[in-house]
Amino acid sequence: MAEKKIGAKAQSFTGLSTQDKLKKVGDLLLNNAMYIIIILAVIYISIKVPAFLGLPSIVNVISLTAAKLPIALGIGGCIVLTGTDISAGRVVGLTACISASLLTTTFKVFPDMTSAPPIFVVLLLVLGTGAVVGLVNGFSVAKFKLHPFIVTLSTQLIVYGIILMYLKNGTNNGQTLSGLSDGYRALVTGTLFKIGNVAVPRYVLYAIILTVVMWIVWNKTTFGKNMFAVGSNEEAANVSGVNVSRTIILVFVLAGVMYAITGFLDSARIASANAATGFNYECDAIAACVIGGVSFVGGIGRISGIVVGVLLLQIIFAGLNFLSVDANMLYIIKGLIILIACAIDMRKYLVRK
Amino acid sequence: MEEERSPRPLRGLYDRVNISVGTLNIVIIVLVAALLVCFAYGIAHRGYTITFDSLGGTAVESRKQMYGELLEEPEAPVREGYVFDGWYRDQNTAYPWNQEEDVITESMTLYAGWKEL
Repeated sequence: MAEKKIGAKAQSFTGLSTQDKLKKVGDLLLNNAMYIIIILAVIYISIKVPAFLGLPSIVNVISLTAAKLPIALGIGGCIVLTGTDISAGRVVGLTACISASLLTTTFKVFPDMTSAPPIFVVLLLVLGTGAVVGLVNGFSVAKFKLHPFIVTLSTQLIVYGIILMYLKNGTNNGQTLSGLSDGYRALVTGTLFKIGNVAVPRYVLYAIILTVVMWIVWNKTTFGKNMFAVGSNEEAANVSGVNVSRTIILVFVLAGVMYAITGFLDSARIASANAATGFNYECDAIAACVIGGVSFVGGIGRISGIVVGVLLLQIIFAGLNFLSVDANMLYIIKGLIILIACAIDMRKYLVRK
Repeated sequence: MEEERSPRPLRGLYDRVNISVGTLNIVIIVLVAALLVCFAYGIAHRGYTITFDSLGGTAVESRKQMYGELLEEPEAPVREGYVFDGWYRDQNTAYPWNQEEDVITESMTLYAGWKEL
């Protein structure tokens, strides 16, 4: 009855009865509940702590968004395939530890080494590591037809074990890796440009490049189109000649590469890496994707949505940080945000049915 | 043929969703309310807890401070045979807390550094 969605929305709105109007407003409020909460929270926080709207704080939020963007761009592809990837955080941890152990001045993990290998070589090694984990994930999902939750749960544990053993190597004895080489740190955290006297780090530029690359991959390549086809209907994609297995494997490999980039940037950004690096990163990334409209229904999602999702999450958490809200409470808030985002996402498709 | 194959609106992880829009609306409202309660609780109990581990010295009480503040240094602990040489971020006392520059950004534990007399 009220499904007059075609044509001029405003005109049809005025033509509706009061009850239908209320229904429409209710729909609007519920479907955008997450954005409304975040906007209200930002307003409240900026009144309470005006420094939240200051330049250093804004640059901080942008930098944090840039740091968390690659992993979300990777996981986004897995969600488009109606899957997910909970090994992401640990892959970030492993690649961060590998980068920190090689591009260092102390060489605790490899005591026999005297000079750091070229940064480019380490980057390739790290990307390879991420790709291998992605390959294992993708192969198991595509060929064993196991649910990605189960597959990536096992790789998550395996990768964590590898991190712990890797950190026991040499004279390190499981300690935090620090003392990173200047070249590596400068490459990632060096100043891109300055606004006033607040420096914008270089990894913001890398995040922008990655976003553009992923946008092209998702929207302009056959692989991207196949990914959406497989995500929305695997059987139909298969019938129309898409190599479903190869597409799934490639999506997970690409995701693994994105986690590796996150790890490579993260260890230089934090200036250290340990077994806890990357822990729970996948939760933030999955939450960001769902908030940004990458749906668990499959085959639906946009790069711009992921960027907005990551940004909104970082804004809200930076704000809560400004308010000195305890980290324990942040876990509960994160969990609720994921649940609400999923419920809202579900609602959109239920209403359409 | 193709028409029949057109995907159902609910698929993927939502394949087996078994809830009406009305119930889902209530769920969303309840969850949003829960989120707001969490915000309110977090803001009412705001402040990061700084715990001091004196590593064998006299106990030092923990305290609450706000984001971005400098540490309000507590009274130095005492330990027989040692002299206190400041607070450290880690148990191995490798990374000292810089009283002039470091600001509080999270709940944390600081460890006492001791030098033998």
